[in-house]
Amino acid sequence: MTTVQQANLLGGRALREGLRTPESLAPTLFIPVFFLVVNFGQAGRIFPSSTTDFLYGQTYAAFQLPSSLLLAASFGSAALYLVEDIEGGYFDKLRASPVSRSALVIGRLLAEGVKGVVITAVLLVIALPFGVSVASGVVGVVLLLVLTALWGVVFGGFMQLIALKSRSAAATNAGGLVFFPLLFLTPNFVPRELLTRPMEIAATLNPVTYVMEALRSLILQDPQWDVLTRGFGIVGVLGVIMVALNVRLVRSYD
Amino acid sequence: MVYEEPGTLAVQASGLAKHYRGRAGTVEAVRGVDLRVTAGEVFGFLGPNGAGKSTTVRMLTTLMTITAGTARVAGLDVAHDPDGVRRRIGVALQEAGLDPRQTGRELLALQARLFGSTRAEAATRAQELLVLLELEDAADRRIKGYSGGMKRRLDLASALVHEPEVLFLDEPTTGLDPASRLTVWDEVRRINGRGTTVFLTTQYLEEADQLCDRIAIIDAGRIVRQGTPAELKAGLRERRGLAVDPTLDEVFLDATGRTRERVAGEVQEVTA
Ligand SMILES: Nc1ncnc2c1ncn2[C@@H]1O[C@H](COP(=O)(O)OP(=O)(O)OP(=O)(O)O)[C@@H](O)[C@H]1O
Ligand SMILES: [Mg+2]
Repeated sequence: MTTVQQANLLGGRALREGLRTPESLAPTLFIPVFFLVVNFGQAGRIFPSSTTDFLYGQTYAAFQLPSSLLLAASFGSAALYLVEDIEGGYFDKLRASPVSRSALVIGRLLAEGVKGVVITAVLLVIALPFGVSVASGVVGVVLLLVLTALWGVVFGGFMQLIALKSRSAAATNAGGLVFFPLLFLTPNFVPRELLTRPMEIAATLNPVTYVMEALRSLILQDPQWDVLTRGFGIVGVLGVIMVALNVRLVRSYD
Repeated sequence: MVYEEPGTLAVQASGLAKHYRGRAGTVEAVRGVDLRVTAGEVFGFLGPNGAGKSTTVRMLTTLMTITAGTARVAGLDVAHDPDGVRRRIGVALQEAGLDPRQTGRELLALQARLFGSTRAEAATRAQELLVLLELEDAADRRIKGYSGGMKRRLDLASALVHEPEVLFLDEPTTGLDPASRLTVWDEVRRINGRGTTVFLTTQYLEEADQLCDRIAIIDAGRIVRQGTPAELKAGLRERRGLAVDPTLDEVFLDATGRTRERVAGEVQEVTA
């Protein structure tokens, strides 16, 4: 049995777990929609489509949607369920099986990716009444789903690191809070060139900025390959780093 | 010195040690344990709470790094070929390791597939084990709702999916009612009868007496007695000049430096 097959089996189990705890999906959908409605409601009139160049003719909700997508993708439950597996002893059962150490950590991340695609699709549909459309077309929609899901995998991988290290739900939850600086030290209200100088520096150093800009370009414009390459490149590199660190931790796990 | 072929040993540990390093300093949980378990036997590993039984089991089952010494299980070195060892062993730890959100059947089928079975083979194997351990009625309910005894039996079943060469059971009957305990004993005998070596830890000396061909007693991280129950009893009888064989309880108390009087005294101190 190959690592990929094992990861698929474990991913299937993680998805089943997600389907059996639909309540854990509620905040994943509610909070991002809440932010979309509130931000659009408050700033929609400051940035009317007709006179705001950076909206490319769409509403301010379209500009805000990437923040909501990234927020949703960062609400994954992989790490908390991993802590449960560790506390309940099931993780030891899996570790005592001849399962490749990579599959042990990648299984849940695969499930996280699938959930990310579904949640992104749902959010795209919810955003339709706010006048949001994906300007880059069908290919753009696919890239949007994939990029958001991949971010979910990266962030899930980061959370799993904390879970493996701390083996505590409280510590894992606390670790998840780094998402707030990551999400808000970005050009999330206006494009980067309109930010104040300190904010612009922070946003430029923040990898989430480039993921957000890639998502935004897909919604507002024709495919911008340079922006997309940066966004996918960052997610790809971070993804590889997260998986490698996870595997290292599982190998030395005592 | 009789030459023993390494292939006939299911478990072989020499100088096995584990030190836990924590903020409060280092705990020497296991300090140089030598074990030789012959293939095909039921081996009992006894010792008071905190003696190092679970730590030893976790090292032998690849779950924990080894501080010093070496261990071979089913002929393979635990540190150098952990995956090979994992393929050949079944493990049911002291805390039953189950996933509350799966059903018993799903858990067993997944476990079988992780050991390389096809979907159909896994379904068949899961059904067999559910019948064997009397879990059919609960098979399609989520494990969350299982009783403690059902969880233990399911945990044992999950250790058997791939018909392991060596089965490690860490206190398999703790917390079971007498009927469930007998089910587990029967199962251990049945598995052993088909050639699987069983390495089990227990707090129940009667259990060791009934089930085990040979036992080792560990105290404070060191082996203090090793042999067949009969040998250990005879040894104590000779040393004490007793008229009849002592019980395994007495052997245990003697080996771990606790006499009945001292145990009684400690109880009195607590109640005083
Ligand atoms: N993760 C750990 N960190 C630090 N010390 C530990 C850890 N696990 C066990 N110990 C210590 O190692 C010693 C041996 O523990 P172990 O669990 O192996 O004993 P045991 O014989 O299985 O006991 P019991 O019969 O209570 O299950 C104990 O002193 C225990 O406190
Ligand atoms: Mg123990």
